Amino acid sequence: MLNKSLIEDTLAAALSTGGDFAEIFVEDRTNNGIVMIGGKVESTMSGRDYGIGIRIFKGFNSVYAYTNKFDKDTLIDTAKKAAKALTGKNPNIIIDLTKTDVKNINPVKIDPSKVEKTKKVQVMKRAYDTAFNYDELITQVTISYTDFTQNIMVANSEGLWKEDTRVRSRLGISSVASKNGEMQSGFLGPGASRGYEFFEDLDIDYYAREASRIALTMINARYSPGGRMPVIIDKGFGGVIFHEACGHGLEATSVAKGLSVFAGKIGQQIASPLVTAIDDGSMPNQWGSYTIDDEGTQSRRNVLIEKGILKGYLVDKLNGRRMNMDVTGSSRRQSYRFPPTSRMSNTYIDKGSSTPEEIIANTERGLYAKHMGGGSVNPSTGEFNFAVMEGYLIENGKIKEPVRGATLIGKGTEVLNKIDMVGNNLDQGQGMCGSVSGSIPANVGQPMIRVSELTVGGREGGL
Amino acid sequence: MDIKALIDKIFEKGRASGLEDMEVYYSAGTSLTLKVFQKELETYNLSEGEGLSLRGVYRGKMGYSYTEKADESSIDRLVKDVIENATIIDSDDEEVIFEGSKEYKKVDSFNPSLSEVREEEKIEFVKKLEEEAFNLDDRIVSVQSCVYGDGSGETIMSNTKGLYLRDKSNIAYTYISVVAKEGEDIKTGLAYRTGNDFNKFDAKEIAREAVEEALALLGASPVKSGDYKIIIRNSAAADLLEAFTGIFSAEAVQKNLSLLKGKLNEKIASSVFTLVDDPYMEGGLASRSFDGEGVACKYKKVIDKGVLKTYLHNLKTAKKDGVETTGNAGKDSYKSPIGISPSNFYVEKGERSLKEMIADTDKGILITELQGLHSGLNSISGDFSLAALGFLIEEGKISRPVDQITVAGNYFEMLKNIEEIGSDLKFGLPGAAYIGSPSLKIKKLSIAGE
Repeated sequence: MLNKSLIEDTLAAALSTGGDFAEIFVEDRTNNGIVMIGGKVESTMSGRDYGIGIRIFKGFNSVYAYTNKFDKDTLIDTAKKAAKALTGKNPNIIIDLTKTDVKNINPVKIDPSKVEKTKKVQVMKRAYDTAFNYDELITQVTISYTDFTQNIMVANSEGLWKEDTRVRSRLGISSVASKNGEMQSGFLGPGASRGYEFFEDLDIDYYAREASRIALTMINARYSPGGRMPVIIDKGFGGVIFHEACGHGLEATSVAKGLSVFAGKIGQQIASPLVTAIDDGSMPNQWGSYTIDDEGTQSRRNVLIEKGILKGYLVDKLNGRRMNMDVTGSSRRQSYRFPPTSRMSNTYIDKGSSTPEEIIANTERGLYAKHMGGGSVNPSTGEFNFAVMEGYLIENGKIKEPVRGATLIGKGTEVLNKIDMVGNNLDQGQGMCGSVSGSIPANVGQPMIRVSELTVGGREGGL
Repeated sequence: MDIKALIDKIFEKGRASGLEDMEVYYSAGTSLTLKVFQKELETYNLSEGEGLSLRGVYRGKMGYSYTEKADESSIDRLVKDVIENATIIDSDDEEVIFEGSKEYKKVDSFNPSLSEVREEEKIEFVKKLEEEAFNLDDRIVSVQSCVYGDGSGETIMSNTKGLYLRDKSNIAYTYISVVAKEGEDIKTGLAYRTGNDFNKFDAKEIAREAVEEALALLGASPVKSGDYKIIIRNSAAADLLEAFTGIFSAEAVQKNLSLLKGKLNEKIASSVFTLVDDPYMEGGLASRSFDGEGVACKYKKVIDKGVLKTYLHNLKTAKKDGVETTGNAGKDSYKSPIGISPSNFYVEKGERSLKEMIADTDKGILITELQGLHSGLNSISGDFSLAALGFLIEEGKISRPVDQITVAGNYFEMLKNIEEIGSDLKFGLPGAAYIGSPSLKIKKLSIAGE
């Protein structure tokens, strides 16, 4: 992407005012997006993101600059401008890059850029037809198709020089059901770090039917009751609860400055002994996987919590300095426009021993959250919230009528201790996670779990 | 190669490849971000970026493509992608390239004095902001983020029907988020300012606002679940309006994705509620003289005293409905196709202050912050159920802070149940649109807590 001497010269210019570490990140990415509404292709966009980011550290402080121009003058000039933010002597660091080949953990069989767009439209049409014909109350279906190929290069003043290619594919299905002047919607968005073969292998009909089934169930549902009650959260995307309630609080971004409620708690019991939680960016072909992170560190499996004990954080290079900890291969960013920082990849609660049937049968009253929407958290207070897309009441150990409009809120430190049953049916779901370094693909996962008590936001009185 | 010459080359290549009408949208900008942590300039980010998109008609359909490599080497690929993308469009709605409006009203959104502010002054300001926050109260244990940023940008729109428009703007922003701790209780408070006059940023005042926000919430606890009279404070009401902006889009209406379908000239909100889209608003941070299709923007009341007067249109949706475009074609950046977006979009203010509104509330809850707006609401159904922070109102006074509650309702019902609108119009952070609301008093919403 850039030749060796240009990278070395740029890094040297970046260090000319006393920086102790410099890094260059090059990105060349192709995006393809198609939107189909009502069975017709409404809009398409293809494009190329193309830029270079230069980062300099001095102690705990950092400087970042980016540009879209790749010529030598611009790069040296950008590096020098960035360096001007620091004041000090040229440290005379000798930069000697050695290129290391990386073996891609997300093999791609069919390059999406080689596939005719009409074939991609056929995939969408199939999803549309199945979803729309699911029931006559389904009044609208929107299908979104996305693929991208991101080529990156990262090199730094410690001699690291690596390149990587990330290919990702995703299909979004949003169904709307209407009845008596009301509308409800259901959404599913399967995705993977794979090429076009992802769509060929995908059980499109299953996801399309599910999205419509959710919308249809919700249009016939009454409003959820509110108040504190036991909550069962189903496998897969339900893992968003751990992502929000705890995951963000384990990112060095908030831990390094002592801002997280989990700062300084390594080795302590922070969750129920039933909880083991893992962040693993090295799972082949998963949506949140990558071979190397955006600092060039190999991705790996990081145990965050083991049987309730806090084992580790997600650490990037800069925050690792403040924390005096090694990096964990977790440094990510949306694009060259953002400096990278510690983020989640594929984060999940590991499987336990209960069967889903046992969990439900052992719950006298409560809420069963079958499909979750998204959520958010304030890592300083640990207060999180997330939406239940498809919920049901549980009475006497049985799943009863569906309820709509439920939200779950709580504090991360509390909810982790209140997980009192963990199922044996681990599964993953796909989402986009937004934080300081932009919006990035991330898996959330878990088996079915039960939380003994959570605040459910709803519109009707308590259970 | 300068940008005008590049655009000409793109049009030339496009024509030779069979494209009919074409348009290039180019934007370039620079930005600076400064973050302070414990008295040190912890982050210093500089950027210089540009991007260009092409849209063009091929066999009657519009195709799009973009690149951030704005040079001659990208032309072939831009044109090829446009053709390929146009080929798969099978929408019945016709999208056209616009020849230009008769007149464009001038909008001044570039303040030259902002670019003259020295970097040292900005660094000094953001350091002072953090320092003030710590000085105000011992219970402020940390500052989550303390940021100053500014940027300037230029947009060029040029098409083969002879339209050539240029727009230049700059903006500065600053925010601070503080953490207050008392015993085991932790609360955060945020304050921000936006605008393009650096001299209007007062570090002490901003710090105080964030600190007071956090301190006031210390000792909060939930309330009993049930229906309450609710006052949604201005900034939270603006956040809620922003999340529901999509329902006013004619595109959503035409695609059966908005419950406002068929409601034109009907009363959809309380008589005290008037919703305005004003692209020429003084101090508006989404002010513009032309929209994403090059159409001259105009002032409009979307809801007038509770009656829905118009949807927000671009050329495509207007043609389909047989009306004139409202000049609300949205184009967030060169990466996005034409959509629909309001400009400076706000609820008209009422007569009385928030304090007066609280004073005649016997029992209720003042909501100061809503969380999870991107997930806890459904703009299609109008249902929302959101984590909230605020205060309990008893006998016309604020009696205590409240947390760990949710507030739930339906936006369409809520609009009808607005009893009073405050005089305290406030705008949120600017994005594609700049959205504002005064505080709103709602007859009732459901609260879930204890």
